Amino acid sequence: MKLSKKVVLIGHFGVGKSSLIRRFVENTFTEDYKVTIGVHILKKDIQIPETNKDVTLVIWDLEGNDDITNTRPSYLIGTHGFIYVFDLTRPNTYKNLEFDLNYIKERYPNLPVKVIGNKKDLVTNEFIKENKEIFKQYVDLYTSAKTGKNVEEVFNQLAKSLV
Amino acid sequence: MTQDDKLQILKDILLKDEHEYALSLEQKLKDLEAVINQQPNLSKKINPIIDDKLLEFVEEIPETLGPTITETLKAEIKNSQDAVVEALYPIMGKMIKKYVQKEIQLLSEAINNKMNNTFSFESLKRRFRAKRSGVSEGDIILQDHFKPTIEQIMVIEQGSGIVTSEYSKTQNIDQDTVAGMLTAIKSFAEDAFQAETQNLEYIEYENYHIHLQNFSNYYIAVVISGAFTATFRNKLEDKLLDFAQNVINKTDLENSSILATKLKAQFEHEII
Ligand SMILES: Nc1nc2c(ncn2[C@@H]2O[C@H](COP(=O)(O)OP(=O)(O)OP(=O)(O)O)[C@@H](O)[C@H]2O)c(=O)[nH]1
Ligand SMILES: [Mg+2]
Repeated sequence: MKLSKKVVLIGHFGVGKSSLIRRFVENTFTEDYKVTIGVHILKKDIQIPETNKDVTLVIWDLEGNDDITNTRPSYLIGTHGFIYVFDLTRPNTYKNLEFDLNYIKERYPNLPVKVIGNKKDLVTNEFIKENKEIFKQYVDLYTSAKTGKNVEEVFNQLAKSLV
Repeated sequence: MTQDDKLQILKDILLKDEHEYALSLEQKLKDLEAVINQQPNLSKKINPIIDDKLLEFVEEIPETLGPTITETLKAEIKNSQDAVVEALYPIMGKMIKKYVQKEIQLLSEAINNKMNNTFSFESLKRRFRAKRSGVSEGDIILQDHFKPTIEQIMVIEQGSGIVTSEYSKTQNIDQDTVAGMLTAIKSFAEDAFQAETQNLEYIEYENYHIHLQNFSNYYIAVVISGAFTATFRNKLEDKLLDFAQNVINKTDLENSSILATKLKAQFEHEII
């Protein structure tokens, strides 16, 4: 029997949600910024490493929102797992990290949430070390939609926690 | 008079009453035995008493047991709200539908009256055909165009938009993303009009009509090509409500292949 899971990407404007999905699903990247309006839905069938289980990820690419409380609740109903994305180059996109994550946890307790700092290709390892205090506690992975670094890993890790 | 005779007389005087009394007691005992040992006789005696008591009991039930029963029912319904809603949904749907149908029928009659009073050569021809076939004139106009066909039917989980099961004539539509998009559009529309109780029921996409039939935990999306007439829609709705009420059960919703078989069986030959 086919197993499908709804995965939602959430985060501020322009942090790279759509780019990450495009990298994951089509393995492409573009510098052009096309704002997502409403929601875009894509899917990918994957096989979870180790267990070899097949699962279809139905990925909801939400429009960016600088205030998480403005996210349409109905888009989040029935979600199985979240990927929270912020932009390593823009402190504004991670200054409310704790608040945003609590917001999700309160409404969707027990759901897996992967927190990722994206656009890793634009910052140095030193920068991450310097900001260890802020990131260490929350961030699961640093990714780059441009180079593809850690993109598969994020989705695979999330998928693994879903089945 | 011998001694014996005297004694007998004395006995008679002393014991005759007792003896008769004993005899009558014996008879009474026998009668009683007959009553007790023979079911029909016993029933005759006891039934009226039991009946009376029973009647009393029944009359008192509302007072004695009523509150307990009500409480139990209330708790039971509260604990299994989902199941109750799921069971009521199709029935409620039908009731509402009947009402709306009646209203529309009245409206349609009013329109037909108007049409009867207008006159043209085309309408005369149509009217002639309508008379012969028994189908309404308006529908004939539409049917002339093209016949409605079910292309795909999907049972979709509310909220997540995950496809529980589906049947399609041709496998050229990606069910997962389509179902996701439908769910998103539905959520958006329902959000935007801020009507929790109101559901989006119809979407047009390119040459397709998409009919959405809502239930509490899932909805059914039917993709139709051709003319989506009111008659067709009506029959489709009936069929979907019946399907939900009589064919789908809880285990089906957890087993996509069983449900897919049922969908195919019901909707493959869309002679609706
Ligand atoms: N260098 C670099 N640029 C990126 C990366 N990810 C995204 N971008 C760029 O950032 C811009 C925004 O990316 P999107 O993927 O559209 O961002 P989004 O989060 O979907 O934006 P909204 O839909 O508006 O919320 C685009 O110009 C991308 O090319 C990355 O990892 N590295
Ligand atoms: Mg986007």
